[in-house]
Amino acid sequence: MAENVSKTKKLFTVGGLVVLALGIILYFAKEPLGLNRKIYDLPVFLILIGLGFALKGFMSKAKSEDDLDLGSKSFGEFLTNNAILLAMLVLVVVICILQPRFMQIRVALDILTQSSTKLIMALGICFALLIAGTDLSAGRMVGLSAVISASMMQTATYANRFFPDLPQVSIWIPIAAAVLACMLFGALNGFLVAKYEMHPFIATLATQVIIYGACSLYFDMPPNNSQPIGGIRPDFAQIGQMRLFQGIYPGFPGISILIPISLVICVIIWFVLNKTVFGKNVYAIGGNREAAVVAGINVFRNIMFIFILASFLYGIAGVLEAARTAGATNNYGNGYETDAIAACVVGGVSMSGGIGKVGGIVMGVLIFTVIQYGLQFINVSPMWQQVIKGVIIAVAVAIDLTKYRRK
Amino acid sequence: MRKLFLILLTFLLIFSFTAFANADEIKIGACIYRFNDAFMLRFRNAMGDEAAKLGAKIEMADGRDDQTTQNEQIENFIAEGVNVLIINPVDRMASQPVIDKAKSAGIPVVFINREPASEMLDSYEKAYYVGAKAEESGIEAGELIAEYFKSHPEADKNHDGKLQFVMLKGQNGHQDMILRSKYSVEAIKNAGIEPVEIASAIANWDKLQAMNIMNGFAMSIGPENIEAVIANNDEMALGAVEALKNSDYNKGDKDFYIPVVGVDANASALDAMDKGEMLGTVLNDADNQGKAAVRLANALASGGDVKSIGYEVTDNKYIWIPYQKVTRGEKK
Repeated sequence: MAENVSKTKKLFTVGGLVVLALGIILYFAKEPLGLNRKIYDLPVFLILIGLGFALKGFMSKAKSEDDLDLGSKSFGEFLTNNAILLAMLVLVVVICILQPRFMQIRVALDILTQSSTKLIMALGICFALLIAGTDLSAGRMVGLSAVISASMMQTATYANRFFPDLPQVSIWIPIAAAVLACMLFGALNGFLVAKYEMHPFIATLATQVIIYGACSLYFDMPPNNSQPIGGIRPDFAQIGQMRLFQGIYPGFPGISILIPISLVICVIIWFVLNKTVFGKNVYAIGGNREAAVVAGINVFRNIMFIFILASFLYGIAGVLEAARTAGATNNYGNGYETDAIAACVVGGVSMSGGIGKVGGIVMGVLIFTVIQYGLQFINVSPMWQQVIKGVIIAVAVAIDLTKYRRK
Repeated sequence: MRKLFLILLTFLLIFSFTAFANADEIKIGACIYRFNDAFMLRFRNAMGDEAAKLGAKIEMADGRDDQTTQNEQIENFIAEGVNVLIINPVDRMASQPVIDKAKSAGIPVVFINREPASEMLDSYEKAYYVGAKAEESGIEAGELIAEYFKSHPEADKNHDGKLQFVMLKGQNGHQDMILRSKYSVEAIKNAGIEPVEIASAIANWDKLQAMNIMNGFAMSIGPENIEAVIANNDEMALGAVEALKNSDYNKGDKDFYIPVVGVDANASALDAMDKGEMLGTVLNDADNQGKAAVRLANALASGGDVKSIGYEVTDNKYIWIPYQKVTRGEKK
């Protein structure tokens, strides 16, 4: 066994180095060979992938308990356990062949950008899933937050202002107002679930309907009367559109500000879930509520906090969506909760509560976005995209459930 | 039980009082496919203003984009005793039952915005349609692009004399979506330019969807290969503009510009046009359509002459309100 293990380590290191070398060769060869329009940024990707694998092989040498077993029996298991990930990789290769433009750094960055708001949503909704609940109000909170923040962030000269006499306020006021409004509804969610032990499905369904109605009322206020909000102030739009390191080398499109924002939130949520008493309580309540009560955990307070924290994240996501698109309607965010739940589930968050990791959620969101983006990229009909999306969710959960049964 | 009976009786009394209070006032029942629609909003405002001017009472119902809901609302209006119906159908192909209901109640019905098939309208002599010829909006959007292409030789990015365009379409099956898509291309052809559709997608009239789709096109096709973007409405055109800005196009640099056209002339589109981000749009004249619909309904309900309402009635069935081209600098 030990021999086998060191073989896999070697495989990773050597394989990684080979890919790395190939990437470097291609990088310098693509200009003279005239491959620029055929392989785009593939060499850069190869270099990065090679580096990743080589490092992984190198690192696993250091700590032997974290080894990778490629024995024939466990290899089959490995395949089923990572079926979705592998399917995604196959899809990526197919797309690269069909449409070489996919191999561009700007495409990879665009995928990460589109993942950012989805990740924030998924991180919010995972709390509800961790206590064996769900949150149907998430999408509508995005809409509410988008409409509120956009309504106060219009340029003074725009013809159709939501608040014609509003001065050019600091951008933090509308953001705070939008997020607070969401947190208010989050508190309502938490109260209904904690106080009446209502199933989160019903509690958040009720809140969802209330939010959409309230948001539509706000959106319909004269003089706006349900017109799409436009004329967004550039400084506000920057929050979602700004790009960092733009042009550090010729043609570099820059990294969307959304990526670092979601990364920071990701780290904070990881910290909250893994290093705080609250995080441990979330897992405890999700694992066994009665036991948590007996253990002296204040379930009421924790559930309240779960839904308020989640709604805070949805609020942020809504502000970012409004800024990114420089506009808002009350229909923003519609259906985002299902995408977020699906991403969580694909990322290994159990619907029966208590199980789920931030790393898994990140993977789930990325897998989903890559597949969606890739299918759109090669012009697969939206109807087929829906079918494929559904199949992925079903397969992911099926695999997950068999995995836990085996244990 | 007796208490309940008494309460019911009181309610009935109140109802009958309100019902008879303004018996001779003309009551118009208007069913809108969805309130939350920028265009229908302008339409509603125009109808409300005109009704107030004419001294008619207009009640509007929100169909919430659901034909079943709308049918119930129509039945309610008929039961309430409205004198005339104005219907903005959710599904224009499902208008026959609506016409039958109006016919059996003997009240005139004016369809707006979404045109029922002519054989449906022909089945009832008091059925009318007020709207714009959807193909006209497509033609004018296409003409905007063709005019730009002719006056700006640099717009032909690959110098092949053809026009490589991307089309962003509205909801699948919607009459406006079909006709605008078809006739905008026709108009380009008629202007003597060969159009080449390099990509098209359905973005459901929605800015966010259009933005994500256009983002994808900018990546997969490359903005340097796109010579025009034709959107079925302004919101989608604006979504495309945001996506192009994301690829550093349409930000003011003439070398990095793709002409984008929409339809509707809403406030955000006019704003984008002033900034030079969008080429132009076509105004679907909601004000005149709303006015014409209410005037026609009022004339029908009061037995007045439909010829004297200030709008031409063609074939004794249709009032056509023309579209208007809007380009940069001519704010309405």
